[in-house]
Amino acid sequence: MSFLKSFPPPGPAEGLLRQQPDTEAVLNGKGLGTGTLYIAESRLSWLDGSGLGFSLEYPTISLHALSRDRSDCLGEHLYVMVNAKFEESKEPVADEEEEDSDDDVEPITEFRFVPSDKSALEAMFTAMCECQALHPDPEDEDSDDYDGEEYDVEAHDGMEVDTTPTVAGQFEDADVDH
Amino acid sequence: MSLVGKDVVVELKNDLSICGTLHSVDQYLNIKLTDISVTDPEKYPHMLSVKNCFIRGSVVRYVQLPADEVDTQLLQDAARKEALQQKQ
Repeated sequence: MSFLKSFPPPGPAEGLLRQQPDTEAVLNGKGLGTGTLYIAESRLSWLDGSGLGFSLEYPTISLHALSRDRSDCLGEHLYVMVNAKFEESKEPVADEEEEDSDDDVEPITEFRFVPSDKSALEAMFTAMCECQALHPDPEDEDSDDYDGEEYDVEAHDGMEVDTTPTVAGQFEDADVDH
Repeated sequence: MSLVGKDVVVELKNDLSICGTLHSVDQYLNIKLTDISVTDPEKYPHMLSVKNCFIRGSVVRYVQLPADEVDTQLLQDAARKEALQQKQ
């Protein structure tokens, strides 16, 4: 699992909201082992017993959910869908860097975090909701500016509306050589 | 006019469609749904057992609202007013 790397666990400086030990991480169905899940305001991190782990940025988290199906082989867990690709052989790749031929398809990675303490799931879900709300997408200045009605040019009786760009002097008489 | 408690279908930009009961929405259009079901379970089998979910507003493509719960005239008027206010 070479995308796992070693880094210090998030602390109060990163806005740690919740720390859940004894939590198994599963990536696209493959178990990564048991470790601690850190839900911080800056990012979501998971570290295993040897200090190796990964972090997820909230803007890449498309959705998160609680799975309550006890008959699921994992039991109750926190499901997280991420808009990024995590492959075993390389680092997590953001959408723009993807070299696969299907460029139009958005990459989707499914993580599942299974705490041994099932009663903590609600709090984990809520903590993630709070952190997501802290990372809205930056406002797109160009959107919502166009309003079809506002830009329609209405012609009134007897008025000619010319919307073509004018050239300086185009209405002047041409020079005549005598 | 509030659609909280009504069933909606949220279509995400990654083509996933999620049907569920609208629990809440915030200013960024982050959506919380309860009692969800996925319209394409073969593609996302891990979501079958999910009951509650929080969807990030920026990944939503469409929200399908129940037609008989929506007063379209009211919605159009409100949208126009807000657009005008934003211009000023």
